[in-house]
Amino acid sequence: MTLQEYHMDHSKQVLVVDDSRVSRLMAHQFILSKHAHWQVTEAATGEEAIEKAKTLTPFLILLDVNMPGMGGVATAEQLRALYPHTHIFLVTANVQNAIRNRASELGVGFMEKPITETRIHQLIDSLEA
Amino acid sequence: MPDAVHRLILLESIIGAVNLGAIVLDETGRIVLWNHWMARHSEWSADAVLGRDFFEVFPELQHKRIASAIGQALRDNFQSLLSQTLHKAPFALYTHGAQERMQQAIAVTPINLPDSPRHCLIQINDVTIAVGREKLLREQTMVLRSQTFSDGLTGIANRRHFDVAIEREMRRAMRNSSPLSLLMIDIDHFKDYNDHYGHQQGDGCLIQVAAELAAMLQRPTDLLARYGGEEFAAILPDTDAAQALQMAEAIRQRAAELRIPHEKTGNDVKHITVSIGIATQHTHLPHQPLDIASLIGAADRALYLAKRSGRNRVTTQTT
Amino acid sequence: MVNLSELENDALVEIFNIGVGHAAAAMSEIVNEEVTMSVPSITFLNRADAAALLGSKKDGERICGVSQHYDGAFATEAILMFPEDKSLEIVRLMVGDSVPLQELTEMEQEAMSEIGNIILNSCVGTLANLFDSELHGSLPLYHVGTSAQIMSSFGGPDDAVVLMLHIDFVLAKHQIHGYVAFVLDLSALHDLKEQVSRYLAKALGQA
Repeated sequence: MTLQEYHMDHSKQVLVVDDSRVSRLMAHQFILSKHAHWQVTEAATGEEAIEKAKTLTPFLILLDVNMPGMGGVATAEQLRALYPHTHIFLVTANVQNAIRNRASELGVGFMEKPITETRIHQLIDSLEA
Repeated sequence: MPDAVHRLILLESIIGAVNLGAIVLDETGRIVLWNHWMARHSEWSADAVLGRDFFEVFPELQHKRIASAIGQALRDNFQSLLSQTLHKAPFALYTHGAQERMQQAIAVTPINLPDSPRHCLIQINDVTIAVGREKLLREQTMVLRSQTFSDGLTGIANRRHFDVAIEREMRRAMRNSSPLSLLMIDIDHFKDYNDHYGHQQGDGCLIQVAAELAAMLQRPTDLLARYGGEEFAAILPDTDAAQALQMAEAIRQRAAELRIPHEKTGNDVKHITVSIGIATQHTHLPHQPLDIASLIGAADRALYLAKRSGRNRVTTQTT
Repeated sequence: MVNLSELENDALVEIFNIGVGHAAAAMSEIVNEEVTMSVPSITFLNRADAAALLGSKKDGERICGVSQHYDGAFATEAILMFPEDKSLEIVRLMVGDSVPLQELTEMEQEAMSEIGNIILNSCVGTLANLFDSELHGSLPLYHVGTSAQIMSSFGGPDDAVVLMLHIDFVLAKHQIHGYVAFVLDLSALHDLKEQVSRYLAKALGQA
């Protein structure tokens, strides 16, 4: 294992935000299948995400766009302000120019739904680069 | 000639003769059939495109609707429709001598074969004529509509009818030396009603108010017209100022009694009300020119005063 | 009537949200404007209740429906429905025409048919992909009538169940509420439930 690999495998905190429990469980599982030592916290709403983020030092935050209440985009905006260096990704099945532009403006990435193991692993790989 | 070959030749002739474009893609998206109609109406002959990847020939169609339709046909076994209304002319196809592309209706269908992977059929229909016909029909309807005297929404007289009627009644009043009154009736805070309840309900409100008002004008020579968006005009021949005031007040009351809820009036009265301006033309000096604009102007000013003074009221012109 | 666990219900709602999300992206590409769609909830109903759900306070208010038939791994009739004035609104927004809000002309019916085609194929496609099933879909058919008329025009047994998706459609600040109904006979319903269970078991490593 290289030093870089060691640093990546060493426990990191991830926050998964989605109003769908199945979605959260899947993302949670796929993250752990790549890095078993990582600590994954779940939140069901944008509001809950912001609360939980304050108690963590998140390395990565995944935000479902389509959530009731404070949606993913508004949550991303707030989290980006709180954590300028955390990797934040909007997750959506509706990939169109509007969301691309918004993500770019906020300085966040985006990932397509459905959430698959491949997509999650590719996303994590891209952070290691 | 063996049956199978004969049949094949027959089918190929049919594909060549049908009056629509047929493109077939194999499972990798390569063009394996490009019928005669396609060759005739595009810049591509079959030889020029057969064997090539569809998106290599049409790079501008990548990431468009037809791309996902092809994907859904090959991958999911689903059929797709591309309507001419949402996509005028995805392919560069022309009828002979035409400058503009033909309007196209497209269907994308999976073709399942017993011993081969799934293929995809793209059918293209020229619907330029149908689209043109419908546009013409629509234009004719608009013209017809403007030629009638009824307001499309409420069914009462429209502005055109009013313009004709006011001139006629003024002339008659002059001839008979009788008074003519004009009421300008405007629904209060109607923009706020539309914004809050939506245009659908706004229309419903207009229809209801118009119906009530129309029912109140009993005499055959009275006319209620829709003057503008939320403004009505009532022509009352043989009606002097006092009678007009009585009528106007009755109308104002009736409108308020409808109790059509309106949350956004910005005051304590939470239902629809109307403001009314009255102008009366008394017996006219003979041989004077008709002054329609003057009468309407006076009624309008009275209406404006009614609005300014708090709405839900009736105001008469001051001479 | 249908016993889906909370997790199974969640999975199905999420699957349909992905489906309409893809459809919204496709529609956004057509009009070059932001389009969002979501499925806030799903319900299982019998046919009569489904018709009642769509029926409105105003008698005879018409519904526009676009239906497609799917068969293969399971069979269903899928119908996208909006109140008539709402479908007109959607078409006007998509087509960008300032056509008066009168009747739906044939050209606009075609546009509505395509919109139904996009949404239904997307929903069923997502289902089929995740369930690893093979289906075949028909071309869209346009219907207009009262909710009772539309629901009853689809054959199938009287005890067929309707899986109803509530759909929120947003384009250019217009928010429009509609439905997608899947008419399923008991064996199709059973297949669906089994597929959801299997999908969950596979996705979560264990049931």
